[in-house]
Amino acid sequence: MTLEQDALKHFSEVSVALELQTPDMTLNIGPQHPSTHGVLRIVAQVDGERVTDVKPVIGYMHRGYEKIAEVRTYPQITALVNRIDWVSGFANEIPFMAATEKLMDIEVPERARYIRMILTEMARISSHLMFMASYPLELGATTPLMFALRERERVLDLIESVTGGRFHPNFNRIGGVKPNAGAGPSQKKAVQDLPKGFLQAARDAMDELLSTCDQFDELVTGNEIFLARCKGVGIMSAALAADFGVSGPNLRASGVAFDLRTHTDYLPYDQVNFDVVTGTVGDSFDRWQVRLEEIRQAAYIVQQAVDQIPSGPLQAKVPKIIKVPKGEVYVRAENPKGEMGYYIVSEGGQGPYRLKIRSASYSNISVIPQLLEGVLVPDIIAIMGSFDFVLGDVDR
Amino acid sequence: MTNSPSDLPATDEASVQMDTYAAAVADAVGALSWSTNFATVKVVVAPDEWVNSLRTAKTDLGLVFFSFLSAIHWANDVEVGDPPAETVDERIEVLAAVGDLTDGRLVHFSTALPVDGAALATLTTVYAGANWHEREAAEMFNIDFVGHPQLEKLYLPSEFEGHPLRKSFPLLSREVKPWPGMVDVEGMPDSTEPAEEGDSSDAETLPSGVSTENPGR
Amino acid sequence: MGVVEKFGIPKPISSLLNWSRKYSLWMFQFGLACCAVEMIAAAGPRYDMMRFGIIPFPASPRQADLMIVAGTVTDKMAPSVRRLYDQMPDPKYVISMGSCANCGGPYWDSYSVTKGVDQIIPVDVYIPGCPPRPEALMDGIVLLQKKIQAEDMREKWMERDQQPV
Repeated sequence: MTLEQDALKHFSEVSVALELQTPDMTLNIGPQHPSTHGVLRIVAQVDGERVTDVKPVIGYMHRGYEKIAEVRTYPQITALVNRIDWVSGFANEIPFMAATEKLMDIEVPERARYIRMILTEMARISSHLMFMASYPLELGATTPLMFALRERERVLDLIESVTGGRFHPNFNRIGGVKPNAGAGPSQKKAVQDLPKGFLQAARDAMDELLSTCDQFDELVTGNEIFLARCKGVGIMSAALAADFGVSGPNLRASGVAFDLRTHTDYLPYDQVNFDVVTGTVGDSFDRWQVRLEEIRQAAYIVQQAVDQIPSGPLQAKVPKIIKVPKGEVYVRAENPKGEMGYYIVSEGGQGPYRLKIRSASYSNISVIPQLLEGVLVPDIIAIMGSFDFVLGDVDR
Repeated sequence: MTNSPSDLPATDEASVQMDTYAAAVADAVGALSWSTNFATVKVVVAPDEWVNSLRTAKTDLGLVFFSFLSAIHWANDVEVGDPPAETVDERIEVLAAVGDLTDGRLVHFSTALPVDGAALATLTTVYAGANWHEREAAEMFNIDFVGHPQLEKLYLPSEFEGHPLRKSFPLLSREVKPWPGMVDVEGMPDSTEPAEEGDSSDAETLPSGVSTENPGR
Repeated sequence: MGVVEKFGIPKPISSLLNWSRKYSLWMFQFGLACCAVEMIAAAGPRYDMMRFGIIPFPASPRQADLMIVAGTVTDKMAPSVRRLYDQMPDPKYVISMGSCANCGGPYWDSYSVTKGVDQIIPVDVYIPGCPPRPEALMDGIVLLQKKIQAEDMREKWMERDQQPV
């Protein structure tokens, strides 16, 4: 080693050992930022590339659901609740319907319950596909976006063929589901049902979807850059998750095998077989893996459900004007984002006296300040994106 | 409390189990009362016992999952919406739902606060996740959560005045016009008034276009 | 006063300019609510918005010509929307997508929702729907392109000069 080289080495060691003075800086992200999934604002204190403190500012999408629900009737609220978590509109209706039906003591016909289950799982697939599209995009990959959107359109086509709406179907009625779109009262009874060929189309689409999931495995899950960005990043312990009320795939990624579909009877999930997918570490990569696997499980559920769907009426007998008896009920459901529940306080009127909406994303992102402390700035995106929140579900 | 099918003496096994469970929870936390109407377990505790009972629930009963915290404003005079069916005690009822992550149980803890100067000890010392929920409740109902680390506005702009979910909070847009869809609607010259809803509300009829006996496919 | 303000632009030149402008609208990535999902779908493989010359890349308003207000504008968000609009360079266009941005939509009586984005920024095209389908959005874009094609630079510039600062 020459003298110059020796001096250079010494110099570089000294400069590394020297503490760089990086004064605290406030970094404001949002409310308009392409990686925050909407109008979330994050005020981060950074020390160089390290995040020392994070303050999320929410409320940019607060529409006052709980107040305007007090001046709406129950059927009107059905149309509103679609728009809480806007990538899985159909699933939002289910717990509200189930809660109202519980208060009114209505038994929903089995066929309607099956149709609800099929469409709920399709909403789950479309919601998770949106995550499959956006998360790699936030980490710098554009191809998965096109793959996922292509597949999502296929699922939306199926939902549309039944409900007439792409993702805000407003298809549930208290006591069952709406008769097929376009079939008015004068139509023959036979057409007031699932459209012709739907069941076979659903079967085929799910097969296609399963092969796309394999493509995702090859394209993204094994990608070196993707792994480097999210393996070991944003590790959330099960205890922390429970403390903050984190639910859904985010909770299961932390190793808790808790799925409301196996614990409640709002839909006939006891008649189909599916696995509750869990992660092991609870990092961003596990949250990706759990969602990818949940798409597969949802596809299996749809395939089983279309094989088993019974024939029968689509609607229970309900009064023409919905008046809900006095009482308080809370019904929660396993939505794509996590636990969604409605606490309805009815005073016997046409609308609720108070409607508390428990939405999943709200609790899910309340844990983010805990996880972001001490991470590097680029990891903010890798962690937040993996939580798959929707601002409408956060702010309501 | 109310007359509903689920209030009848429990017949099936599930509701018996639920009643037993609710009684056990109420016993463990020293509750004032409990109910399981509509399969919703609700345990009423005194405001002073609020934090202690939830701590017991978390540590002894395994209710580790913090689902939500919210409130209900019980008022006889309401600005919008329907008033309660019967006269109620004016109060603010705070609800906290906690559950377990094994059996799918969920217990709603409830306590009553006075409408003026509603204050309650914070739950953030027990469940860290109560932080945002309490901020939301404080903003919406004007409840003071004593000991809360950061009781600021969560949703609304800082200059917003009022507490929207209080029943005394009006919706100004509605006062200007009951419904904007009414804007161009003028009755036909010889049309009669639409029938009052009371006429047909009791009839067991179906919405138009709904058939009871669908043959399926 | 320049030559343009005095005499206007000759028709062939102006239509050539407008023709080139209308097929390279850089669309600001700005999603608010549900409609943003349909906007993404419109940019996706099936609807492929780029074939209309809409380029959905800029994440900053400073490089954008077109802002699609896709979703509910709340009173808390409204100042930011205005600011983003102000940061866009002229000539700029706004499409109001969906009932919420048009007039408040299903939240017309809410205490926190702005009843129409046209209260804070000028809107060129309104698209009804809750949410509008991607086809509706594309129809709105074609409408906007027609509007741009018919534009007279002179009027546009005079109009801009008259606006209060």
